Amino acid sequence: MGFVNLKILVVDDSKLARLSVIKAVKNLEPSADFFEAENGAIAVEIFKKEMPRVVFLDLTMPVMNGYEALVEIMKIDPDAQVIVISADIQPEARERIMLSGAKNMCPKPINDEKMQSIFINDLII
Amino acid sequence: MNSINFNEDQIDALKEFMNISLGEATSHVAELLDAFGTMHIPKISVRDTSELKEIVSESVEASLNYYVMKQLFAGKFGGECIFIVSEQSANNLGTHLYETDNPDKDDINDAVMELTNIVTSSIIGRLTEELDVQVQFFAPVSSFVKSFDIADDDEMAQYSKVIVVSTELEFKDHNISASIFILTKDEAINSLKELIDKKIEELYS
Repeated sequence: MGFVNLKILVVDDSKLARLSVIKAVKNLEPSADFFEAENGAIAVEIFKKEMPRVVFLDLTMPVMNGYEALVEIMKIDPDAQVIVISADIQPEARERIMLSGAKNMCPKPINDEKMQSIFINDLII
Repeated sequence: MNSINFNEDQIDALKEFMNISLGEATSHVAELLDAFGTMHIPKISVRDTSELKEIVSESVEASLNYYVMKQLFAGKFGGECIFIVSEQSANNLGTHLYETDNPDKDDINDAVMELTNIVTSSIIGRLTEELDVQVQFFAPVSSFVKSFDIADDDEMAQYSKVIVVSTELEFKDHNISASIFILTKDEAINSLKELIDKKIEELYS
């Protein structure tokens, strides 16, 4: 692959979880530019400013959760590519975020195999 | 948050592993109840077991009775999981699972035992899977006690640390909430720290 200026926003209240996502993406896209947010409210602000190509979004976060952030991001850009990465693996959670416009939902923890599948099957880069 | 011997990164990692574990537990309980469960952000702290009585008193109502389920697990990360459910939550659970307005005591106990088994095995099982270690589970034991008797147990003296997982298992149309405490010994806490450090190192490598 090897795209230039591929902006990626990683949203999770856990630093470890953000690092896991960044590491998995870097293995596929070493030159990607990463922006990090620890809650949905910060994520929405960064999204407005940077308009990243891809957003990896957790659901359970303080201040503004992932469900709310997803709605706000889709209002800003209906074509936003948001992948939810969450520990909530219930079918209803998946249904809810897919209805809100997410591209897909991936159960935590993320790994190289899951990330590769996301890049191949879900994202238009 | 009191993070005895745990640095900020280790607590963050433990919180994330616990979040993943609770996600799996919530999903399994949702299946049991046939209802969507709302996940809440777990608050994690590692405290001395001598503080357990105080910690428990912060999460229960002094005037109420509680079902207390204890499940031992052994291995590189060994200890005891304590699951506390209020009498009202337990009644709601029994009412729902047995489809009756007046579940008897045995039915309620059985329902809570089933819930405990699912939750503790999901939490500890997933946590240890994340840490690449195996544990053996023992059969849970139950008691129905007054709030001030929950932590009044000589058996707890054998443990040195308690991992406090403050969260809520909230299910649509069912008022069921519970508290979870994981009691461990010093060697288990040290193993846990080593395993977490190994995971963090892998990410930075």
